[in-house]
Amino acid sequence: MFCIVAAIVLSILGIFSASNRQLAKEALDCVFHRITFRPCTTGFDEKMKAKILGKVITRSEKSARFLNKNFELLAWIFFVIFLAASVMFVRGFVLFYTTGSCNGANSTGFCVFDPTGENTKTSTVTGGACPVPTNPSGSSLTLQNVDLNLWPVMNKGSKDQIVFVGCYACEYTREAYPKIRALVEKYGPELYFGEYPTKLKTDTLSRVGYCVYQQDPAKYWQMNDALFSEDVALLEDENATRAILSGLNLDMSSLDACMADPATEASVQQLFTEIRKTNFYGTPTLFINGEPLVGPKPYRVYAIALEGFFYWLK
Amino acid sequence: MNLDAVRHDFPLFQETYNGSPIIYLDSACQSLRPQSVIDAMNDYYVHFPACSGRSYHKLAAQVTQKCDDARSQMARFLGASKKEEIIFTRNTTEGINLVANSLDLKSGDAVLIGGKEHNSNLIPWQMLVKRKGIQLKILPTKEDGEFDLEGFEKMLSNPVKLVSLGYSSNLDGVTIPAEQVIRLAHKHGALVLLDAAQTAPHRKINVRALDVDFLALSGHKMLGPSGTGVLYGKAKLLDQLTPFLVGGDTVANSTYDSCEFLPVPERFEAGLQDYAGIIGLGEAARYLQNVGFDFIQKQELLLNQAVNDGIKEIDGLQLIGPADPARRGGITTFYIEGIDSHRVAIMLDQMANVCVRSGQHCVHSWFNSRHIKGSVRSSVYFYNTLTEVEIFVENLKKIRKVL
Repeated sequence: MFCIVAAIVLSILGIFSASNRQLAKEALDCVFHRITFRPCTTGFDEKMKAKILGKVITRSEKSARFLNKNFELLAWIFFVIFLAASVMFVRGFVLFYTTGSCNGANSTGFCVFDPTGENTKTSTVTGGACPVPTNPSGSSLTLQNVDLNLWPVMNKGSKDQIVFVGCYACEYTREAYPKIRALVEKYGPELYFGEYPTKLKTDTLSRVGYCVYQQDPAKYWQMNDALFSEDVALLEDENATRAILSGLNLDMSSLDACMADPATEASVQQLFTEIRKTNFYGTPTLFINGEPLVGPKPYRVYAIALEGFFYWLK
Repeated sequence: MNLDAVRHDFPLFQETYNGSPIIYLDSACQSLRPQSVIDAMNDYYVHFPACSGRSYHKLAAQVTQKCDDARSQMARFLGASKKEEIIFTRNTTEGINLVANSLDLKSGDAVLIGGKEHNSNLIPWQMLVKRKGIQLKILPTKEDGEFDLEGFEKMLSNPVKLVSLGYSSNLDGVTIPAEQVIRLAHKHGALVLLDAAQTAPHRKINVRALDVDFLALSGHKMLGPSGTGVLYGKAKLLDQLTPFLVGGDTVANSTYDSCEFLPVPERFEAGLQDYAGIIGLGEAARYLQNVGFDFIQKQELLLNQAVNDGIKEIDGLQLIGPADPARRGGITTFYIEGIDSHRVAIMLDQMANVCVRSGQHCVHSWFNSRHIKGSVRSSVYFYNTLTEVEIFVENLKKIRKVL
């Protein structure tokens, strides 16, 4: 058993040091002998045991005696721990690769591959037009009972679906948005976008968005692209917004009329209500084919959620 | 002779590993080298790094002179009547192989060896059994490791061409009664080859007084450089040998179909020699003679007695060889029932930088015949101290308690 543990550990260490490489070779030879039901002829296990005992005995004879007596048992325990740790490591890596976090989608626990938690950060700062619902975990994120008919949509009718809750002024939404746009560009899923202003008082933009979408859905997405590329500080500046809208060749008078219409505000508020039904607790929150993803994930995570592990082959 | 001054000559004693000094108790495998030997070798590489004998420039002349001096030094060291009886080899193994392959042994000729010979003095003869059909006779060792003189004489009653024996055993340190052995062998018409690898570093050898025919030794066990050795042979016997390793530097002249060999010893020293090693070996012999074998033997006995006293109460410890440490030179070989010898050696190294040898010490045949897996061997030399021996014993006791 000791040989197996040593072979694995030393093989890894052997990548970095030549002396460990030689030991790894001996350990592998020993493992090979053992699995073919022959005694280990290199003396590797004896050698390593003696080296360990020699170090321990200088500190505590009692510990050395215990170690000597229970060496095989301890080797088994270490092997099981090593195996478990290896499984956890592989699981963590796979989860990180597929969800952006070692602990599974939307978990904010420590992840060695993302120590600062960049992939799970969300904008929860209040002070925007709408309060962020409090929800301690991602377990209750849902699209059930959410009426998507009120949400601006692109590629309606496609088999895959992305539902995106974000806000124009939120830095993590701004980080995720271009990736989602690229994904939509490449794979063409339905894209629902629910703008929920959490950071700045950009609720005017929500009405603007509603009215633009009513006038020309295609220009709504162009407006979104422009707003997400705009300097955040200018998002509260009405003139800057109007300049963007003018650039899209929209009918401004009809747009102004729409924005002044009380029915618009009612529709926007209804959209906010529907967004809140998702139980989201920060932006960006995405549902890709129903699977919730909170925080700005790497592109591959969105692509895997949408197209599967081998998205890059498609 | 002052021990502190002696130890000062050996650079290793000035060094530490993990904060502690090295305790070197493996001199039977290879001794340490004094600075003067290292300097002698360096001198060659720095000041006259040329060929000996072949060239006529001033550097070559210096090398030739130095190698010649080393040969004379070794002749004096062994008490040879002339320096031409000294052949430089790489080690004892090569010396024995030289005799085995150059002596005119024919099918049916008997060679007699001991029961605890180093592989160097076993395998060359086994090869001749296969190749030439010689007979290999093995004289069993007494239970306590002592040489069985009576048994030896009995075995000589049938014709033996050559007796090849370890002068001192690397297994248990026992030295054979060489003078009697040689006298008996000669009485029965046998030549005698002694493997003196473990003797030359520890006691005065006089080949003329012994009347030995051939004697091989290694430089690396007697403070000399590794890869050096000597084969002594009586001049008239060397003249009769046919060189088995031939080529460059062994001939005075050659044509496409014949050659004229150089006289002894050059005819046996094929190819470019390890000049630095030879010069270093000469210096090692000089150093040993300066220290004096009286001091060496006295110090070894003192130390080996301390080892003996220290380990005798260790539970389950089995000593190999005679109980009296005075019979074992500087060697103490033992095994502890149920405990792997390598484990003990590695632990000693890890615990206190104590360097000892473990395993079967190239005497596999002896161990296999007794079904013993291996043993630990401590081999002290004159440069060791009582404190070092005490640390060794103390740590060995600790190991026994734990294992």
